[in-house]
Amino acid sequence: MSQKARTLHAQLHLLDRQVVHAGDGRLVCKVDDVELAAGEDGRPYATAILSGPLALGPRIGGVAGRLIVATTELFRPEERPAPQRIPMALVSEIGSAVQVSGDPPEAALERWVREHLIAPIPGSDGGGEAQDGGDEEPPAPRPSAEPEDGNRTRLAPLLGRRVLDADGAPVGQVADVQLTQDGPLLEGVQNAFQVSGLIVVPRHTGQLFGYERGPGGQAPALVKTIIRRLHRGSRYVAWPQLASPLPDTGPIRLSARLAELSSLAELYERDTAG
Amino acid sequence: MKKLFAVTLGILTAFGGFVDIGDLVANALVGARFGMSLAWVVIVGVIGICLFAEMSGRIAAASQRPVFDLVRERLGPRAGLVNLGASFFINVLTLAAEIGGASLALELATGVNYLLWVPGVALVAWLVMWRVKFETMERIFGLAGLALVVFAVGLWLLGPDWGRLAHQVTHPPSDEGVPTYWYYAIALLGGAMTPYEVFFFSSGGVEERWTRKDLVTSRANVFVGFPLGGFLSLAIAGCAATVFLPVHAQVDTLGQMVLPVGLGLGQVGLALVIFGIFAATFGATLETALSSGYTLSQYFGWQWGKYVRPRQASRFHAVVLVVTIVAAALVLTTVDPIKVTEYSLVFSAAALPLTYLPVLMISNDPDYMGDQVNGRFSNALGTVYMVLLVVVAVAAIPLMLATKAGQ
Repeated sequence: MSQKARTLHAQLHLLDRQVVHAGDGRLVCKVDDVELAAGEDGRPYATAILSGPLALGPRIGGVAGRLIVATTELFRPEERPAPQRIPMALVSEIGSAVQVSGDPPEAALERWVREHLIAPIPGSDGGGEAQDGGDEEPPAPRPSAEPEDGNRTRLAPLLGRRVLDADGAPVGQVADVQLTQDGPLLEGVQNAFQVSGLIVVPRHTGQLFGYERGPGGQAPALVKTIIRRLHRGSRYVAWPQLASPLPDTGPIRLSARLAELSSLAELYERDTAG
Repeated sequence: MKKLFAVTLGILTAFGGFVDIGDLVANALVGARFGMSLAWVVIVGVIGICLFAEMSGRIAAASQRPVFDLVRERLGPRAGLVNLGASFFINVLTLAAEIGGASLALELATGVNYLLWVPGVALVAWLVMWRVKFETMERIFGLAGLALVVFAVGLWLLGPDWGRLAHQVTHPPSDEGVPTYWYYAIALLGGAMTPYEVFFFSSGGVEERWTRKDLVTSRANVFVGFPLGGFLSLAIAGCAATVFLPVHAQVDTLGQMVLPVGLGLGQVGLALVIFGIFAATFGATLETALSSGYTLSQYFGWQWGKYVRPRQASRFHAVVLVVTIVAAALVLTTVDPIKVTEYSLVFSAAALPLTYLPVLMISNDPDYMGDQVNGRFSNALGTVYMVLLVVVAVAAIPLMLATKAGQ
């Protein structure tokens, strides 16, 4: 790649965005989670967008989250149901919405509601302007399973994980995962987004809103100041500073000391300079 | 010329569609008890709704993303779900109040008990949402709501002592407690800034396929239509202040609320005001029912909207249908619609920051907005309102308990 590879922050730029079909503008789903596979050097890269209650439930957590998962599993015919996945190779744009091509299957609930409630009501076919190709029904929901090859993990469980430095001293917890589009080629069309760093905040102070990563345009000054103040001391951990590839559970250990980590403001300055 | 016509039509629609059962009840109650001493809250509320509706309209035009998309995206799934629960609950309460209001207007017109009208109102509302095109629907009921201008005409013909009304603005009546005064201030603010208004406004922008070219229309609606609607709210309060305040009468039925217009304008006025109230509450019935569908669909990423055929947005239409039935059932329990309105206003006020904070943040995000990000003025004013809304949200429920809901 000649120009600088695109960098995203998963939580800020990818998770919870609307997925839209690039062809007919159909609203497909949300990016409820992102599936990761380990690359050659153990660096995970994004393989698919996961959606549906089985991806959203664990992120909500608590009683509500478990209920969402349990209810869905009750109605799914598969042995071990998995969330719907849309391969990252089909993603054509990540902006205020995520555009995907191909034929994403319809959600099972949508089809059930249509067949049993909406379609029998007279006039369900009228009104509204037909979208391009809107007469064709989207493909039927299909059972989805984890892909056979290799271990797949999810991105969201990385958020909130504790981070310890080389001496075992706590650095804080992961608030966001930086992805860079320089990973392996996906189906020969585009490079995968690969984990290139972590953003670690010292305290449990809620969500990052992007303000801690430099100006990035205008901002309501007071809101920005409050959020920056809450997240002061936030650090950027580059991939080489990790002691080992990301463990599935437990705290993430670094090979660097706390003092060697760069602050988020430096990350921003580097981004604009580059 | 055609553009000018479209803009004017938009303004009139926004004007006529601004007042709903919440504004009507809050302003009439407050006018009767506090005169014009809470007029400033209406003005603060109208400026606030203009500010945030303009931002959400701009976001919809620049990125085709409606407000609840932003709520989920910025607050994350957990806080987003809390907001969804709160907004949805308030929406159902408001919807019940609007259905009740429309039925009460029919009772005033026909003398037939409002409970008998409830199923009919709900059914017709659902049929409109099922079949009528979004733009047609919004236009018809917005324009019909213009009949409420008779409140302003009525106030004029009542010939109040304008000097005394002006005097009331700065002098709250001394026989009311301070907590009660603030409780009603919060209810009025909740009425003017109800979150469903921005859900509906921004989703409507997406339904009508706004692009950057439509920013003029969006801004004209907001900056001319909404303040005119706010002016109507003040006229409603003025009418109540003129007729009821001097005799210390409490206003607690819709029949009393329209009385001043009858006194000023006679039977024709009375007929017009009842028609106006019906149009306004029926229009708001559609807005709140659709907003319930919008919020839920936009949180979960479902296909929504009236711009596709109902069978292409099955889950959305199912939500709208179920919510309409539930709200109608709630009114049929014979709970007083006016009381439901009062409670929904205060709960709305408590939920305001959860919705408006993400709007303020996204309207600064160049990812979404391109070159249409907020200017300094919008940001400064937006921040002031955020502080205000947080204070209001914290105070709303305790004040409700302390004043026994304004007793």
